[in-house]
Amino acid sequence: MRYLILSIGLLFIALGCKKDKVFSGPTPYELDIPSHFPTMIIPDDNPMTVEGVELGRRLFYDKRLSGDNSQACATCHLPSAGFSDPEQFSTGIDGIQGDRNSMALINLGWNTSFFWDGRSKTLEEQIIEPVVNPIEMHEEWKDVIDKLSGDQRYQEMFGQAFMTKTIDSLNAAKAMAQFIRTLISSDSKFDVMYRYEYNFELSPEEEAIYQTITPSEWAGYDLFKSLNGADCFHCHNGPLMQVHKFSNNGLDATFTDLGRGLVTGNPNDNGKFKVPTLRNIAYTAPYMHDGRFQTLDEVIDHYSFGVVMSPTIDPNMEFASQGGVQLDAFERDLLKQFLMTLTDDNFVNNPNFQEPQ
Amino acid sequence: MVNVRNISLLALAAVVLISCKKKEEEPCDPVPEGQLKVSVQPMYGAQNLYLDSTYTTTEGYDVQFTSIKFYMENARNGSSQLIDAGLFDYGERGTLLFESEGAHENFTSFNANLGVHESINHNDPAAFPSESVLNIQNSNDMYWGWNPGFIFVKVEARVDTIQDANALFDHNVVFHIGKDENFKTLTFSDINWTDIGGAHEFQLKLEMDKFLQNGSSVIDLKNEFTSHSGAGQEVLSDKVISNFRDALSPL
Repeated sequence: MRYLILSIGLLFIALGCKKDKVFSGPTPYELDIPSHFPTMIIPDDNPMTVEGVELGRRLFYDKRLSGDNSQACATCHLPSAGFSDPEQFSTGIDGIQGDRNSMALINLGWNTSFFWDGRSKTLEEQIIEPVVNPIEMHEEWKDVIDKLSGDQRYQEMFGQAFMTKTIDSLNAAKAMAQFIRTLISSDSKFDVMYRYEYNFELSPEEEAIYQTITPSEWAGYDLFKSLNGADCFHCHNGPLMQVHKFSNNGLDATFTDLGRGLVTGNPNDNGKFKVPTLRNIAYTAPYMHDGRFQTLDEVIDHYSFGVVMSPTIDPNMEFASQGGVQLDAFERDLLKQFLMTLTDDNFVNNPNFQEPQ
Repeated sequence: MVNVRNISLLALAAVVLISCKKKEEEPCDPVPEGQLKVSVQPMYGAQNLYLDSTYTTTEGYDVQFTSIKFYMENARNGSSQLIDAGLFDYGERGTLLFESEGAHENFTSFNANLGVHESINHNDPAAFPSESVLNIQNSNDMYWGWNPGFIFVKVEARVDTIQDANALFDHNVVFHIGKDENFKTLTFSDINWTDIGGAHEFQLKLEMDKFLQNGSSVIDLKNEFTSHSGAGQEVLSDKVISNFRDALSPL
């Protein structure tokens, strides 16, 4: 009998030894990627976690990241403006204005370059810069770390997110990158149009939205995609409504801002800027890298008859020599109606994206 | 009886020890067949071609190519597939067309598609595996919504057709070819794979001068500078992709 008991005991030990150790750490965050979107590639060294996203959100809204504790990332990337700035140029803590419009933070998890000139290749890298930029938040990261390290809540949150008591800029950037990767906009009327176009099965809610799409919106979409219409699709394509490239879209004959050329040093890149998404464009005025256009009408007018030639103009601006695509007033209105379908109110008002209490 | 019990106990203890022993390393994967690399060197005449550099056509036009891209799909020799799809993007990826695993001896010749077969050309572009060059994250501007489907061949350039002292490039060249009827096939025979140290490479050349003047099939950039494979552009579209196909050959 005692051998039997001993044997059973040993058997339990054997089975127990086979079991893997349980790892207790941050909770994996499951991104809700829409089925008509591509997979988002997450960096191996910065997996998404619930704790990381929450920490990133808090940092994004924390004004202690700036030199005088007056500005947060959200100061120039307002949720109500599609995480961009309604001002043409944002003003830093020293009252100095930048010379480029604040970019919208929408679906950046799929982007492969950041800033208008693409000087950063990762979100984590991009996030580091505005803090130390003298015309923006004008702060040293070591001072930010000092401020955050004195906050018991941050100590706990960094510990939970990264399993370390040490607060540093790399983990701060990682956390904010995680938060920004959650800023997914996929709930617009356009999404229903796109899903219908690609034969996705529409949910009852989507079916109801589909019934509200007007003939003018469909006609605007056709114009948007038409080679001899608005011809927008060369640069604004797919579910993200952008292609990943730099383009000179015929704003100027000579350049006061070299854009991509400043980064590459290649004169063939002068006057080129990152192609932005058109999602939530109704919220993200003003437009262009320098915010020169205040309204969508001005933007459509530019592409219709305001395009100017220059040595590096995008070859896809095929009607540049004629000044643009020559849309008439009726067509311009149709196109605008389509652009309004890119509005995603649920994105702008998503409580998970707002300032934490 | 005691001996039997002891033996049983020892046997069980051995099982315990084996179970508790650190997990042995996974057996090694089979020896890889080898890395295969296919590259494409754009050329103009006898020289390597560089984007944004100026070349002169037989008509005397100055031309600067700004983008050269194409899809090669389903490269295979019989039942052996070399790659499902490769994307050449001279501006972003240099001369690399694709890399794959395989035994180069199995690909002394292969067939491939220039473009994307209609059986998958119109699929949801986000549904391809994320590592596939057909996934819209990777196809990027090689996918278009109006068709919809993939652009098979993209050549963009600017050209100066006015022969004067003014070096102004007077118009842009945009060839975006990619409807099902433009689909072409490629055949490469007697391939010599070059050992490049741990891998084998097959190099193609893309003769852009031949692309513009392929025997009697001439693309006159002064008059033939735009095609999106749309209605009314069928003849030029076919000429563009046919010339492009013929411009590809082993280096």
